[in-house]
Amino acid sequence: MAPPTDSSQPRLAAGCRWGGTEQDRVILFPEGAIKLQGTGRQVLEHCDGQRTFGEIIAELQKQFGQADPGKIRADISIFLEQLQKKRIVDY
Amino acid sequence: MVSNPLALIAEVTHRCPLHCVYCSNPLELAGAKSELSTADWISVFQQAGQLGMLHAHFTGGEPLARTDLTELIGAARAAGLYTNLITSGIGLNEQRLKALVDAGLDHIQISFQDSREEAANWIAGAKTHAHKIELAREIRKYKLAFTVNLVVHRQNLDHLEDMIAFIENMAPERVEIAHTQYYGWALANRAALLPTHAQLEKAVAIVAAAQDRLAGRMRIDSVVPDYYAKYPKACMGGWGRRLMLINPSGRALPCHAAEVLPGMSFENVREKTLEWIWQESDSFRKFRGENWMPEPCRSCDRRSEDFGGCRCQAFLLAGDELVTDPACSLAPEHGIVEKAVREANASAPVARPVTSRSFVQLQLQTDDLWKYRTNPD
Repeated sequence: MAPPTDSSQPRLAAGCRWGGTEQDRVILFPEGAIKLQGTGRQVLEHCDGQRTFGEIIAELQKQFGQADPGKIRADISIFLEQLQKKRIVDY
Repeated sequence: MVSNPLALIAEVTHRCPLHCVYCSNPLELAGAKSELSTADWISVFQQAGQLGMLHAHFTGGEPLARTDLTELIGAARAAGLYTNLITSGIGLNEQRLKALVDAGLDHIQISFQDSREEAANWIAGAKTHAHKIELAREIRKYKLAFTVNLVVHRQNLDHLEDMIAFIENMAPERVEIAHTQYYGWALANRAALLPTHAQLEKAVAIVAAAQDRLAGRMRIDSVVPDYYAKYPKACMGGWGRRLMLINPSGRALPCHAAEVLPGMSFENVREKTLEWIWQESDSFRKFRGENWMPEPCRSCDRRSEDFGGCRCQAFLLAGDELVTDPACSLAPEHGIVEKAVREANASAPVARPVTSRSFVQLQLQTDDLWKYRTNPD
């Protein structure tokens, strides 16, 4: 499978959902849970199946003003592709 | 204080319409009369949620044999747990599946015994294959995580490629290719189930190719069977370290097979809280950490990875739960496992009589090959 494209609409895969407490938010999935903090959490909170990958990147590039926009795009793309292989994210 | 457990394994019943020859349930099964009540289980899930556990894995036996399963799933979900139903699918129809999903079921895991109907029914000792295929179609109508579990062994490994293609058609997100673990009925039937080295090597290559081909569509998990591994499995992620199993009669166990261990008694959730059992009970503390460890575990770099392997397997194979798991190549008792592996490789896998027309005929013909799992009273 390919990395997300600008028109992909990333979302949590079937049977994967948020859990834990506001302080310790986790993504629950069949074989375990990942604790998400900082950037990872921010990225996944944008993945609502409505926004496109292009829109998510644009929003996050704005938020992380100082960082290299190309690097932000590349990092988020790899992050989502890895979660897709684990069947935690679909796009 | 040790950290709280991560997940609860709720073995809600030992009753099961299947008689799988590889079943890891104990040979002495708990009868329906000894089972926990609905209210007992609800209290268990509430306590699990309060302890911060994340997952409740419903297993058995066949969990669907409990008529209150929908209520139990609902209670676990309400307690904040991620709910996973491990099932043969027998006892499930459209309405009941819908009710379970409505109650908050997050994930369903269905086992298949083979891709070919006759062989599958032969292994299960019941005519169930066709129903499972129908059910898989029904499951995909819901936004539910779906895993297909394939238990592999000497009798079906030669068809692994076909079985993966068969599963691909059902489009689950996950496939678990589970090599038989030799406990309970599977241990009694080991000679008929333990694969040859050649079978295993071929299977490893097939799995690797399928993982590559299906990446992003189906996640395939597979673990080498411990009889062929260099090091033992980290049974339950370590004794009393991550998981708590509650059996049908309410006893809390640190491992599925723990009741085989001599001289040990296990607390019952009817009498003690989950928290007390986890923190204070002798049974959960007995093999927790490293103090109990013998050599070569005690000075081994891997002791914090595999925790000396499985205590129950050590007892079942070596007659001593205090020794290193004989599956470990460094274990003084490793010869026991080597002998079983040698015997498995001394002859080619048995040809199965799948050409017989009637199922009854099949069961009669294969009586001497293995023992079917029975059912509790």
